[in-house]
Amino acid sequence: MIHMTALAAFIPYNTLVVAAGVAAVGCAAGVIGTFGVLRKRALVGDAAAHATLVGVASALLLTGQRDLAILLVGGLISAMVAIAFLVLIRKFTRTRDDAAIAIVLSVSFGIGITFISGMVSRGIPGSGGLERFLLGHTASLTAHDATLLGAVSAISVLCVVVGLKEATMVAFDPDFATAAGWPAATIDFVLVALVAVMVVVGLPAAGAVLVTALVVIPPAVARQWTERIVPMLVIAGAVGLISALSGVMISSLAVQLPTGPIVVLVATSFLIFSVFLAPCRGIVWRTRSACVFPSDSYDGNDTGTTADTVTERKS
Amino acid sequence: MIALIADSGITLWFDRVGPLHGWAIATAVAVSACCAVVGTLLVVRRMSLLGDAISHAVLPGLVVAVLLGAQPGGVGVLLGATVAAMSTIWFTRFLFRHAGLWEDASVGVAFTTLFAAGVLLITVSGSRVDLDPGCVLYGILELVPFDTVSLYGWDIPRAFVSALSVLVLVILGVWCTWRWQVFTAFDTDAAKAAGIPVGGVTCGLLVGVSLATVTGFVAVGAILVVAMLVVPAAAAERLVHRLHHAIWLAVLFAVVGAFGGYLLAWRYSTSAAGMMAVVLGVEYLVAILIAPDDGVAARLVSKVVYLWRVQCEDRLASLWRAEESRQLVQEGGFAGLVTSWLCVSGQLRKEKNVFVLTPQGRVHAELIVRSHRLWETWLGKHVDLPVDHLHPPAEWIEHHLGEQVRKRIEDELGNKDIDPHGSMIPKEKP
Repeated sequence: MIHMTALAAFIPYNTLVVAAGVAAVGCAAGVIGTFGVLRKRALVGDAAAHATLVGVASALLLTGQRDLAILLVGGLISAMVAIAFLVLIRKFTRTRDDAAIAIVLSVSFGIGITFISGMVSRGIPGSGGLERFLLGHTASLTAHDATLLGAVSAISVLCVVVGLKEATMVAFDPDFATAAGWPAATIDFVLVALVAVMVVVGLPAAGAVLVTALVVIPPAVARQWTERIVPMLVIAGAVGLISALSGVMISSLAVQLPTGPIVVLVATSFLIFSVFLAPCRGIVWRTRSACVFPSDSYDGNDTGTTADTVTERKS
Repeated sequence: MIALIADSGITLWFDRVGPLHGWAIATAVAVSACCAVVGTLLVVRRMSLLGDAISHAVLPGLVVAVLLGAQPGGVGVLLGATVAAMSTIWFTRFLFRHAGLWEDASVGVAFTTLFAAGVLLITVSGSRVDLDPGCVLYGILELVPFDTVSLYGWDIPRAFVSALSVLVLVILGVWCTWRWQVFTAFDTDAAKAAGIPVGGVTCGLLVGVSLATVTGFVAVGAILVVAMLVVPAAAAERLVHRLHHAIWLAVLFAVVGAFGGYLLAWRYSTSAAGMMAVVLGVEYLVAILIAPDDGVAARLVSKVVYLWRVQCEDRLASLWRAEESRQLVQEGGFAGLVTSWLCVSGQLRKEKNVFVLTPQGRVHAELIVRSHRLWETWLGKHVDLPVDHLHPPAEWIEHHLGEQVRKRIEDELGNKDIDPHGSMIPKEKP
């Protein structure tokens, strides 16, 4: 308690609240991203993230208000529209999934840029500030905004905690979940929608271009340390929290520094560290054969076979 | 004469648009053509996401090259970006193999990390690197004409020179390795077995992608270059089936996108790069709507054509049955759309307010009724259905049976000529 008071004497109240809010976002994104990564949706989140710009810009254009909540609701709507387009392309055309993601991502980003740039050139008030949604800039957040972000994150995590069993079932074996009579499609939709929510509340922290890192890298780190879902969620949450917090702290040192890149680099350094040093899975452990897996048959990839691994095993 | 008109038209247009816009458009066209060529190969090889990753990852390479003293738009920058692109692919494969991550997550980690490193390098190095993080995202096409080099007394924009040389390089590369590229794209294992250096072909393609990306980067930024790589290719791929046709069509789409995007952006004073992506997106939408084999329009048309055919055939069959039971059709002057079409196509004739089958129409109608009654007989013989349940399935299948199937059913029934309702089965006319 004494520490907190002493800290508050040096750091303004606003900075503390913003740091807490963004840390909550990082934590929630890690937890929810775990399900996204397990369902192989890492890049669906990326497409949704790039699409948020359109929504943010049109929310500003339609309401004329710069309130963060309104802008983020706009972003959420356009993110969901982008996901709907992905589903439609998958269902009605023979365009492959990877190309569909690249198309939705780049075209929706193009629409967003066209909107923002057009608004800036017409001098619409507040449009200049939209640039901070590109790479993230927490320095401009108010305590009120941060409370909002924190609250949304807390509610999202609560959803996952309440539906942990259902979410786990659908994440690992959707076919079995359907066969067992679970509303698998609905649960799946909720998980995708939660990823979209995370991507949107992560915008101020990491920006549209890099926010996908918040939902991908912490689960990837957690994957190195454990094989069980609950520890994985906890570790992913912790890594997300620490990364987001360091992003806020370091970027507040210099005015020019965008938050997003720092968050990403901190998270990646966790990942590199884990890939080398995690017990059993880590490269260092495997080369020292201090592990229960026979090192000659374990190639480090047990997440499923793709064409690449199959051909490698053949050769 | 025509040449003169065309010439004056171009001159007029050029005067109106101005040389600066002309150069910007020329650069955009060269860049998008370049991206479309390699993008088509990338899309058919299901490597679109690597294009996404590379486009983000060239940033740190670019910045490091500039920090080391390379000229923007020069060979050094191309080299730096290519090295960065290759290291992304290495990083992705490293994560895929050693971190137990799926391919999409590996790509997601790799490109966000490298892009973040690039942005951070730009911010930290301040004025030493003449790049704005915002421009990195959506390019500076409007400023391209101001950075020129002098070639043979002409002031040509640096970006245009590098885009054109990369375009020539990419076209030469693809042309020389064309057979290998096609073989590898469609069957990697067979290509490997046939002794084609698959790794080298893929590597060459990726070098081409990173060259195209880095030239596109200056003009349209890191993310919109993905649109140039993937969208025209995906649109072309829906419309044609041969790879070389797809490449030409993708280049056409890309050029239209560059032109249209730039002019629209100029008209509505907004970002040219963003507008190009929008135009490309519209082209893709149109392509999936009108795609000949599985497009939305094609499906709709085939459904409508089918329903129309069913209506016509049902009408012919009902007239034939009426004739068979010697009823006169008492419809008076009624002529719906279906009936009028049948009259126009010569299958019906109007005689004193009564519609009669022409010989041609009678042959067609007999085939339908024959299919119907054969099927009823077959169902009656093999499936234990009450007689009054035989009609609905036959009513559906009468539009789908071909001559050979009818023959087979007839043989199987032992040349029975009465159906379960007691009606005669018409014979096939030779």
